[in-house]
Amino acid sequence: MKVIVADDSRVMRNIISNALKPMGFEILHAANGQEVIDILQLSWSEIGLILLDWNMPVMNGLEVLKEMKGNDQYKDIPVLMVSTEAEIGKMDLAFNEGAKGYLAKPFTQDELTKLISSTIKI
Amino acid sequence: MADSIIAVDCSLEVMDTLKEMLGEEAILSGKSFEDIDSLQDYRMILVESADNQDELLQRIKKLRYACYFRNLPIIVIKKQGNIHAIEPYLSSGATEVLSLDDPPAAFQQILKGYLSPNREPLKEEKEYLDSFITNTCNVLKTTASVEPSFREVYFANDFRIFGDISGIIGLSGKAEGILGITFYWPLAKMIIAQMMGVDEDRINAELIHDGVAEIINMIGGSTKKEFVDKPYHFEISLPSVIVGSGHQIGHAEKTPIAVLIFEVNFQYFALQVCLNYMKPQNH
Repeated sequence: MKVIVADDSRVMRNIISNALKPMGFEILHAANGQEVIDILQLSWSEIGLILLDWNMPVMNGLEVLKEMKGNDQYKDIPVLMVSTEAEIGKMDLAFNEGAKGYLAKPFTQDELTKLISSTIKI
Repeated sequence: MADSIIAVDCSLEVMDTLKEMLGEEAILSGKSFEDIDSLQDYRMILVESADNQDELLQRIKKLRYACYFRNLPIIVIKKQGNIHAIEPYLSSGATEVLSLDDPPAAFQQILKGYLSPNREPLKEEKEYLDSFITNTCNVLKTTASVEPSFREVYFANDFRIFGDISGIIGLSGKAEGILGITFYWPLAKMIIAQMMGVDEDRINAELIHDGVAEIINMIGGSTKKEFVDKPYHFEISLPSVIVGSGHQIGHAEKTPIAVLIFEVNFQYFALQVCLNYMKPQNH
């Protein structure tokens, strides 16, 4: 299964990728929301999960969720927000736009694994 | 208790003048630069200007680094007739430049002013600073498996931080200001390597920039979550990174910066919190 890890921090993308490797995923990196949309346009049917940061340049995570919600091909791809923006109000906004889960940074590998396991079949 | 002051490579003439100025309120220890092993016990560093200005500037830089972000004034004493500009001393890390040509009363007042004790955080300052301390330790423990210890806090109005790299985010909303973290290069490199789970020799400058930005982003984000419904709740901007020793971080006038010093295995870093919020009215 291909998983998109979207975060403007290369270090954070590496941290998340290292945590995902033992689960056998093929990881695709995106440095902003527009790069997520670009990957979806090319290969949406191969994507099984998106881990999405909120604060990113060019297009933020919430804008990605809105774009996906309005597209019949993308709207069922599960998205987990992984963000420092972890207040209840912000989380509600993301859930209303279609996010399936929310993980606050900093997180442990165990927290990430549990959230993914509860969201998709591995 | 008298304050301990170290006078580095000062001539007898300057030592005598300083002893007269400081009186019995201070214990003045004369040392050569090469003999200094620690600045831990001192409240002030005095250095005498020298003919070889380049060497003196290098020594001031080294002394400033050896302060490990502490609010330790470095005062350069210029002898009579010395016409060197003061800016190079200040940009190397000196706090003040005084001249033996200055009126003795003013010289003495300025010198003693730097020995005033740091103020303690007010109750409300302590409340929000405690959250920053807890979250700073938690971010580094969770992402890099390092356990920093909080060492001390002081407040600075005219602030220049002397480090190698700083991550900065702007704070806006109910409370406004700046949040910054400053490292010396070796500790930043070690932490980013730990975060990425790789050897330090695989960590380049780009990754350190990126990682320091992410660290301050996580500290700001996890702290603001705790401030919901409090007067110092803020929103955070995207982080920026500044590189270069002695860089200066601007801040709103009349808003003091709290500088929080942390230690990781005898290496130090500083968190700067400049938070301006609407104080509750007393009726």
